Parts: sequence; C-alpha cells; structure tokens
Amino acid sequence: MATVLLCALTLALAVFALTRRRLLWGVIGVGAHSLALAGVYLFLAAPDVALTEAAVGFALVTFIYLLALRRTGRLVVAATEVYPLLYQEGDAVAGLEWEILERFGRWLHRDIEVLWVARADIPRLLAAGEADLAAGGFLPREGERVLLSRPLVPTRMIAVRTGPGPCGAVAGDRGQDHLPPGGPTYEDPEELASALARGELGGAVVDLLRLREWQLRDRVGEAETAAVEEDLAFRFAVAPGEEEVHQALEGFLGELEASGDLARVRERYLG
Amino acid sequence: MRWLAGAAVVALVGLLALGTWGLFPRPPVPSWEEATAAFGARNAVAAIVLGARLWDTLLEVLVYAMALVGVRMVLRPLSRVQPVPPVSETPLLTRAADILLGPIVVFAIYIASSGHLGPGGGFPAGAILGSGLLLLALAKGAERLAQELHEPSLERVEYGAIAALLALGGLILVLSWRGSWLLVGANVLIGLEVAIGAWVVLHHFASSRGEV
Repeated sequence: MATVLLCALTLALAVFALTRRRLLWGVIGVGAHSLALAGVYLFLAAPDVALTEAAVGFALVTFIYLLALRRTGRLVVAATEVYPLLYQEGDAVAGLEWEILERFGRWLHRDIEVLWVARADIPRLLAAGEADLAAGGFLPREGERVLLSRPLVPTRMIAVRTGPGPCGAVAGDRGQDHLPPGGPTYEDPEELASALARGELGGAVVDLLRLREWQLRDRVGEAETAAVEEDLAFRFAVAPGEEEVHQALEGFLGELEASGDLARVRERYLG
Repeated sequence: MRWLAGAAVVALVGLLALGTWGLFPRPPVPSWEEATAAFGARNAVAAIVLGARLWDTLLEVLVYAMALVGVRMVLRPLSRVQPVPPVSETPLLTRAADILLGPIVVFAIYIASSGHLGPGGGFPAGAILGSGLLLLALAKGAERLAQELHEPSLERVEYGAIAALLALGGLILVLSWRGSWLLVGANVLIGLEVAIGAWVVLHHFASSRGEV
C-alpha cells in the first residue's frame, strides 16, 4: 500500500516538475521526486539503493542544478530607483519598467532580481558580469560599453536653477556631462536634492522624471528650468557580451510595441 | 532438414527439462548468510560488491577515475571565469551550511565504515560527502572553497585512494584475504574517491567558460 502511494506521489511530483514555468520550482520538484523514489526503494526492501538515490538524486543533483540556476536561471538587473519607472513599494518592486521586466522574465523563463545600486556603479557591474541588465531610468553616457535597447520613454535633460552657486548632478548620470569639469556630484539623488534644498548648490542637471518626482514631493521650491538636451529616451542597457539577452529583449520589446501594450503601460504610468 | 531442426529443438527442451528436474549433479550452494559471513560482512550487498563481484567494482572505480581525468583534460584549455566577489546571500544558506556540515561529514563517515554491516557503502557515502562540499560551495562561492581545499593535494589524495583501493583489491582477489577491516577500508577509499570526484566535476563545470 505504501509502495503504491509512493509510486503515485513519484508520478505526481514528476508531473509537477515538468509543468512548472519557474525553473526553481522545477528543480525543487525533481528533488522531491527523487526523495519519493528513494521511499519506493525503501519499501521494496532495497535500503542500499534508497540511500544512494537519496544522496545522489535529492542532494547532489539538486545542488548542482541550484548552482547552475544561480548563474543562468535569473536575470540580475542593476537599477537606480526612479518613480514611476522602477521603485520599491514596501518589499515589492513596482513601476513601468518593472512590469516590462517581469513579463520579459516570464517570457525567458528566468527570474528577475533587482540589485539597487548607485548610477555610477552600473557600468562596472555590467562589465564584471555581476548584472545582466541595467534599468531604472537609464540614460546612456559617452564611453559606456553597453548594449542599448530601443527607447522606452522619451525624456530630456533639464537644468534647474534655484539661486546663485554651482550646478550639481548625480554621479555617473548623463547630467554630469553638462557640468563643468570637477563639478559637484552626488552618489544618491536624494543627497543632491537635499544639497539643493539647503542652498549649497545653485542648481542641478537632472532628467525630466527626476525633476517631476522632486516637484511632486516638494523637494525644490521656486526654480527656473531650462532644457539642456532634447530627444533623449530612457532605455534598458544589456551587459556587453550578453548578445543573446539583448536580442531577446529587442524582440520582446518589439512585440510589446507592435501589440500596443507598451503604449498602454506608458499611458497608465505617465498619463 | 525440418525433421532435423524439430528433433534438435525437442532435444534441447528435453535437456532443459531434465536440468530443472534436478537430474544433473550440481555443486551445493552455500546459504547467503554463510557466504556473506565468509567475506567478513553482514550485509549481503556489501559482500557481493566488495567480495564476489570485486572485479566489477574495481573497474567501475577506474571508469569513474577516467571520467574525472577526461573532465580535467577536456576543460583545461577553456578560459576560467574571473573570480567574482562573493554575492551576499541570505544568511539562511551560510548558517545552514555551518550547522549541517558537521552532521553531513559524520554521517558520510558512518555510512562508509558501516557499509558491510547494514545499508550503505562507499558510493552513497561519497555522494553524501560530495553534497556537503556542494553545500559549502553554494554558501561560500566555488572559487573560495577551491582555494581552501587546495586542488593539487586533492588530486594526489584522489590518485592515492585509487592506488590503495587497487592494492586492497589485490589482497582480496589474489591472496584471498578475508576480513571486515578490508571491507571498511575499501568503502572508505571508494567514498573518498567519489566525494573528490563530485567536487572536481562541479568545480570544473562551474568555473570553465567557452566552447568545447
């Protein structure tokens, strides 16, 4: 009786493992299947075989799959937080780019993991292979070796003037290109906003969305704004050497654009 | 011709029938308990694997060792990935590795050294020890573990284990030595070989990049 039940469980777990779309669940299903199979052997009076099956099938093979999954089973996205493109909502991640990334991950059968980093660290992380994608209002700069996706959201760079004093920017951001050499930069956009609010800076060069976020949260008061660079667009960046991911992303975004979903998502988040 | 074939078939069937009715003399077969005890074991599987079918086992171990040499030689020309700094994992994995490693190693040694008395033996023991090493690799990163394990001396231990196993096999097969300690020794050596092999294959597969 126990043998028949365990055999049925083995079959059920095999079906479970085969039908999961998430690779991690598939691996867990295969491991549990091996364990149930070891139980079958045990009840068929073959404890030696059961022991080997449990050690190899459940432990060794599962660990090897997990190690492989860690490298290939997920896409690591290095990102900065920009409302409403990509931001944290409690423990969850939300935003326009997140919706696209989530669908892209499902499409590729890979899990998306977001690594919150400073903008200046993104090229290094992509080049070292520690991240596969960059997102979060990514604007490319001169000399960055990355593969760019098609444009997602059009934007422009804005110079904000609040008073006399030097102009600042986020370190590594495109705004830094518009500062005189050695101009003040800040790792964190929040620090830039605080410096601006304290009057340490007379202005800042940021993109349209960042400025809108500051205005929504009342971080900048009276300010003159002037566009310094037009016709830009936020894109995803893919690590150099990840041509396959880049091609897949381009194909996926192309489909999204053709079906009108991209425009709908843009409409929903940005109006 | 047809008659001849028919007669041959009838004769063969007749011979088989006579054989099954016990008309041919047969040497007495000792009971399995006696045969097992003669090899110094209580587990019949161990007596077969390390006694009556020892040639099979030795050649299996040699095939395993050859597979490892193959992995080393084929993957050697490939480029090694730069050791990336360890990704910060959840503490769950590192803590679990800390707590579980000791019991895993003890259990592997127990399985290897008691394989002639009950279920167990060198192969499952090696697989268990190998999975312990994999758990460490998951927690610490494969490259760091490779540095701590010191690959060249690991290789020497591996080939030493094979040589010792062949010598032990010679004692059992050629000189007909019998005893529990021979089985314990053989199981421990097989376990060592399998565990090191599991680690070597994992490490080469994890760190080599390129086209074969």
